[in-house]
Amino acid sequence: MAELMSPDSRRCTYFFLYDESKVRGEGDPTREGICYFYPEETPVDKQELLCGQLAGVVQCVSELSSSPVCSLRLHRNTFAIRMRDNFFWALGCSVEVPTISICELLDQLINLFCFYNGSVRQSYQLNSRESLAARWAQYLSHLRSGSSELQHIFSCLRTIDSAKVDPLLLLKAALILQTCQRCPPVLAGCILFRGRVVSTQMSPKLTMKVMVHESETYTKAQRPNGPSTSSSFGSTVSSTAVFLTMSELQYLQSVPVDKDFSSHSTPHNDASPKKTRLSRTLSDMAFTVSDSFDPNSSWPPQKVSFSSCLSESDNLMFSPVPSQTTIATPHPPPQRLKPPSSNGKRSDEAEEESHYYSFHSEGGGDSWIHSEGDGSVFEENSHISGDGGDGDAACDRVFRFRGVESGNEESHDAHMVVRDRVGSEGAQGHKPEQEPPPHSGAFDGPEESTLIPMTLYLHRVKGLVLALLVEPHFLSDTASTEEVYYSSLASLNGLEAHLRAIFPGAPDSPDFYIFAHFDCIQSTLTTNLSGRPRGAPEHPFVRATSLLHLHFCNTETLQEAIIRSASSAVYGTRSVAQETYFQVHGGSLRNSGIPYYQDSAFSLPTKARHKLLKHGVHLF
Amino acid sequence: FLGIHMEKKKTSLLKVILLGDGGVGKSSIMNRYVTNKFDAQLFHTIGVEFLNKDLEVDGRQVTLQIWDTAGQERFRSLRTPFYRGSDCCLLTFSVDDNQSFLNLGNWKKEFIYYADVKEPEKFPFVILGNKLDVVERQVSTEEAQQWCQENGDYPYYETSAKDAINVAVAFEEAVRRVLAIDERTDHFIPTDTVKLHRKPRSAATCCS
Repeated sequence: MAELMSPDSRRCTYFFLYDESKVRGEGDPTREGICYFYPEETPVDKQELLCGQLAGVVQCVSELSSSPVCSLRLHRNTFAIRMRDNFFWALGCSVEVPTISICELLDQLINLFCFYNGSVRQSYQLNSRESLAARWAQYLSHLRSGSSELQHIFSCLRTIDSAKVDPLLLLKAALILQTCQRCPPVLAGCILFRGRVVSTQMSPKLTMKVMVHESETYTKAQRPNGPSTSSSFGSTVSSTAVFLTMSELQYLQSVPVDKDFSSHSTPHNDASPKKTRLSRTLSDMAFTVSDSFDPNSSWPPQKVSFSSCLSESDNLMFSPVPSQTTIATPHPPPQRLKPPSSNGKRSDEAEEESHYYSFHSEGGGDSWIHSEGDGSVFEENSHISGDGGDGDAACDRVFRFRGVESGNEESHDAHMVVRDRVGSEGAQGHKPEQEPPPHSGAFDGPEESTLIPMTLYLHRVKGLVLALLVEPHFLSDTASTEEVYYSSLASLNGLEAHLRAIFPGAPDSPDFYIFAHFDCIQSTLTTNLSGRPRGAPEHPFVRATSLLHLHFCNTETLQEAIIRSASSAVYGTRSVAQETYFQVHGGSLRNSGIPYYQDSAFSLPTKARHKLLKHGVHLF
Repeated sequence: FLGIHMEKKKTSLLKVILLGDGGVGKSSIMNRYVTNKFDAQLFHTIGVEFLNKDLEVDGRQVTLQIWDTAGQERFRSLRTPFYRGSDCCLLTFSVDDNQSFLNLGNWKKEFIYYADVKEPEKFPFVILGNKLDVVERQVSTEEAQQWCQENGDYPYYETSAKDAINVAVAFEEAVRRVLAIDERTDHFIPTDTVKLHRKPRSAATCCS
């Protein structure tokens, strides 16, 4: 099998989705089960070889060890493995890529598919393999393209270079999002500029999903025939159906707490509360650009009740759900309002912890549950027995989304779904075409059966995009669409003008060092490598970073490390929330080889502390 | 399609900019004029924002690009780069805030400096006294008119973005001033619109 691997490619070398339910009998050809195989030009017999053998090995190992297989390491390739519902996914990358990154990439890929298509099983029941193959190819190419190797290692969000942007503009972006949220059907949003995040109210993982559609519409907008829109606002506005997991939805529904603050508790004719609010936000901004904003602002909702979301979702999956539930308003009942000060801190810690553990796969089984819980379609099974205690009470109150049964609705054409839903809602009946069995236990696992249809609304102003997750009825609600469109248009125009004025030109002043700073909480990467041609002198840095990252992931207690060759040294340090890597260019290292106390590599920590301050990176 | 001329019409794009102290209602004036809406809960503007509005003034098709700016001092560095290229400046104060009226001169100076206006005495300024709906005024109409006369004979409008008073009139006047002062054709930039209209009776100043 080893000869199948191409050693040149450092990134994803193989990806396939194999449907074991299609290959039951001895005579069934393996190719019947191959739903998608990358690279697509691979001869079918080789596809069969890899699928069959990997599936067999995994089956064998998991039966012997009576635990699911997450990854397989071969001679040159590491495969991340996921199994669910008779579906078998494998993603293979070069062994140089940390296993954790590969596993995350595969999860991202599958979650992306579910986000835009809904349940995998139903997608394959209703669509041709060819059309879905195009989807897999699209998501795969999105995940592989555009990101530097460093971003690949950390699976991080692509953000604008916040060092170049006036923090006030980040605040402006955050305020645009808050203004949109005053409109009840709007759950949360993000603002992107040229494919990079300016501000987001969503979790990093959800933001990454949204960005796929953004880049797709951007490509289309470049063509003469722009994206089709049903909107009266011209070609700048478009929308598509998406599917949220229960935990994602609950997470977003913690935002209305903030919504209540902004739109209802603000006295209408009194300007002073707004003023206090803004100045408080401004003063918070003074620290660092990438820091959290105001406690009432966009970031913190992400941090609030992260862990409780998980436990809630566990309960919810098994709580009987009235199928005709309708919600008049997304505002939570008052008892959901928790004092932000007391709860916020605790939850922050909880989330930090969970992210921390997400990079420590060997820290124990629980850690993976936490890290994957908010997006993975697989892991939910394993933590059914999780701490359900305090989630119980909350779940009944939070669980107010419309039409649970729609999660199983046959919904693959994005625009059709929207229209259908609009129609049924208008008629008050909201009868699904078919009555799916509750939780459709036979095929769909808990996670998929609770995929909730939502709509992704995009408003583009040249390179700037406002992306909002809205309830499906939003599009038929003229008052809401107009409110959102007109309340944000001028600000988006302005923000675009500001950002466009910043980013052309402005060549990087060459630093004599390279650094990469990964924020595990926000899933963002700050580096002075971006924009330079890849390859050349940074390659050793990227390799060292990859290696150190792996060590940090595998050794919880490891905090600092220096890795060196004869010619260069890379310093790595990490805390619960961040990882930082630093290398000085060109400086000839004295005394390479033998450990020696005057080795200039030992001055790297101090240098890093000083040099990185101007990038907003604080090392202690 | 008989009788319909397909004519590639040239529309002039005019940039007008609203300046004045924070809180006098610049954003509200712009929103009232373009979207005919009033939001009492607007945040402070950060930096600049703008909206386009197509209108016809005296038979001329104009796209008005209205730039709204942040009034607070701390936003100065963000807004000033966008003054350049303005065709008209709407200096705004609030009739219930005397300080905002006293600051008009400073705003004019800031604009002339950063917009790099070559002939300040010929540049079209329009003065807006907003919040006419507020009962307790601090600036009388006479005072404001006097200031306008003494500083260059600028047109003065008392507006209310909240009650939609005089807003459209003021913008139309701004357009007239620009068109009257600047009859040159270099404002006319071709746009990609194709107008399905009969040829206008008035001979267009632009060549086609």
